[in-house]
Amino acid sequence: MVIGIIAILHVFVSHFAVGGGLFLPLTERKAYRENNPALLEYVKSHSKFFVLVVLVFGAVSGVGIWWSIGLVNPEATATLIHVFVWGWAIEWVFFIVEIAAAFIYYYGWDRLDPKTHLMVGWIYFGAAWASLLVINGILTFMLTPGRWIERQTFASAYFNPGMLPSLVLRTAVCIALAGVYALITSSRVSDEGLRHEVVRYAAQWLLAGTLIIPLAGLWYISTLPRMAREISMGAAPAVTIFAGLSIFFSALVVAFTYFGPHLRPRHFNLVFALLLAVLALSTTGVTEWVREAVRKPYIIYDYMYANGLRLADIGRVREQGVLKSALWVRRHEVHPHALERAGEEVFRVQCASCHTVNGYNSIRFAVKGWSWVMIDYQLGHLSALKGFMPPFLGTDAERQALGAWLASLNPLPAGIAIEPEPPAANSQSTDGAGEGAPQQ
Amino acid sequence: MNPVIPGPVPVPLPAPSGLLEFLLVFTFILHLLAMDFLLGGVIILTVSSFLGRRDSRQHEFTRRVSRVMPPVTAFTITLGVAPLLFLQLVYGQLFYTSSALMAWYWLAVVFLVMLGYYGVYGYQMQHDEPGPKASWVILVTAVLFIHVAFIFTQNMTAMLHPQDFYSLYANGRVGTILGPVTLPNFARLAHFLVAAVALAGLGVALLSRRWQTDSPELADWGRRYGVTWFMAGTLVQFLVGLWFLFSLPVEVRQALVGDKLAVGILLLAIVLALLALLSAPKSLSISSVAMLGTVSAMAVLRHFVRTTSLRPYFDPHLLPVQGQWVVFSIFVLLLLAGLATVGWMLYVFYRPAATRGASF
Repeated sequence: MVIGIIAILHVFVSHFAVGGGLFLPLTERKAYRENNPALLEYVKSHSKFFVLVVLVFGAVSGVGIWWSIGLVNPEATATLIHVFVWGWAIEWVFFIVEIAAAFIYYYGWDRLDPKTHLMVGWIYFGAAWASLLVINGILTFMLTPGRWIERQTFASAYFNPGMLPSLVLRTAVCIALAGVYALITSSRVSDEGLRHEVVRYAAQWLLAGTLIIPLAGLWYISTLPRMAREISMGAAPAVTIFAGLSIFFSALVVAFTYFGPHLRPRHFNLVFALLLAVLALSTTGVTEWVREAVRKPYIIYDYMYANGLRLADIGRVREQGVLKSALWVRRHEVHPHALERAGEEVFRVQCASCHTVNGYNSIRFAVKGWSWVMIDYQLGHLSALKGFMPPFLGTDAERQALGAWLASLNPLPAGIAIEPEPPAANSQSTDGAGEGAPQQ
Repeated sequence: MNPVIPGPVPVPLPAPSGLLEFLLVFTFILHLLAMDFLLGGVIILTVSSFLGRRDSRQHEFTRRVSRVMPPVTAFTITLGVAPLLFLQLVYGQLFYTSSALMAWYWLAVVFLVMLGYYGVYGYQMQHDEPGPKASWVILVTAVLFIHVAFIFTQNMTAMLHPQDFYSLYANGRVGTILGPVTLPNFARLAHFLVAAVALAGLGVALLSRRWQTDSPELADWGRRYGVTWFMAGTLVQFLVGLWFLFSLPVEVRQALVGDKLAVGILLLAIVLALLALLSAPKSLSISSVAMLGTVSAMAVLRHFVRTTSLRPYFDPHLLPVQGQWVVFSIFVLLLLAGLATVGWMLYVFYRPAATRGASF
């Protein structure tokens, strides 16, 4: 949850950091060419807004994502850092240039001559877009790791199938978001003539970006793993609804922008601008949510499940059990007399990275009304019945202990006695070890 | 019972651990310089801000210093990213565990920093329309950043005590455990805070030199004022540093005292600090260079304490390595190009022909 909120806000701001970086020097150049001092004044005031939003919120929320992924999924974070540390180091260099350029651009309006000032603006944009270039490959790696699974090299990881379409897609989003933010500041311009001009101009940015988005989006979707596409197109209703919402919100943004600021800049105002920003934020939110959701049951596709277990470890865990090698448990074996306690430990090791007991994605709610037999059957066929969940990994005893604990969460009302004896001890899990494993 | 430490991930390191540790320490020094200026700076600004309510010179001083704080904050954060990256790479399994134990506090850092950052901007903007509010804004900002420092020192200490992880985990509520049983480590926090104030004193003294053209009197006063903070801080540090040294676990302290190289580095740091102290009133340049040496030596020593504390449990040199030399070379080239670009931008920004009005 925390990751989600920080991440969506960060995406919304960081894409603006890139798009706005293009907007500022291009608009500044336009002002010089048309010899339009009023427009130049607008660019100046926009750059202040830009610095306050981007440098503070963009930078800190970016670090915030790191903070939260390290806490929630350390195994995956550590893996990413091992594979991509030099990528991140390169991105860090771009950040330094980007921040220095942003400050010098902002403080330099009266100190630098127009040509140098414009140059600093371009340096900012170059560094900002380059940082997107780096992080984009790392993000798409998680969903489409491509040949890295076999080759394990940096190049095979970075130049993964989703990298290029996603880069085009995100660049288009940057341009569109630059328009969204520019609409906010342009609606506050006091000179009426200039306001109409700038509002229209900003609307064109938004429209230009949103024209490219669907094309790049289709290209991107075509590179996704088959299962990920199925999840977004019907296999998981919640995800499908969100994917639909994403398209719906985008269409609203385009329609409102076209019929609003583009055709009638005269009637445009701050409230309208903020409404568009909220719509754009909603689009960003649902789209990023879908992107995260379709990766299930993996966190790194075909390599590591969402709960941090590696596919390579499946055999060992099935044989030895999950408790044996787990560190943060009080018991490493299942005792018949303390089944439920062991079950709770298994839950914490294997389920708790996505489920809480009562809160987010509550497991108590998920198994409500299920008997132990039913739960055990579900656990035994988890990845077949719920495609977006990893298979249960562990010994039969552990599965039964987990089932016993889950069944105890919702005591059945007195008088309903469907709770039979525990599942037959020899019942076999049918989730094959290879199920969900990479198709190599 | 054996200490419970998660194993490192089965992906090889992308460079030998020695190189990664070097980069860790090197980028940490860069972060430390910016961080000290920020943390010590907001503390000095708080004091000056309250004094400045009745003293116009103090007021003008805070107005000028407040303008450099936003970029300093930005660079503190950004320069902090790199050492944290290398820390996670080499010591990830320890760092993630100690972070998870204190998860809610650790996560709070993000929000505290963001609030503090807006506080720094808010304080600067308050100066456009002076009022008593500004002093309270900077006071709150200082409290926020001191909290961040506290959480950091706790986590960086906690990750050195894997033998305590399990008992902490078993006896506490995960996410709210602030550190090993024997802590909070106020000695370490005090060591960092005093160092920050001293370095920031030196920093504002250097900054004051830039006011020579438009306000020589203020420049002169600012230099002496900063040097006073620096000397007071450094003198106090000799005591606090000793306190910190004796707060280290016995075996770590013994290892440190028994290691010739470590003792040499410590002595070098102290001698350079003395040199900086004595030369500060006469030559800021000599003092600054000496202090840079002290900070670097201390950062190396800190790394020595870390590796010594962890030696019984974990040795990064044993991790498998598969060098990614091509990407590493690209990183080095881009780093040089990036620094050159920043240098060029700073040059055009500060070149005399372009200076107008008060320099910042």
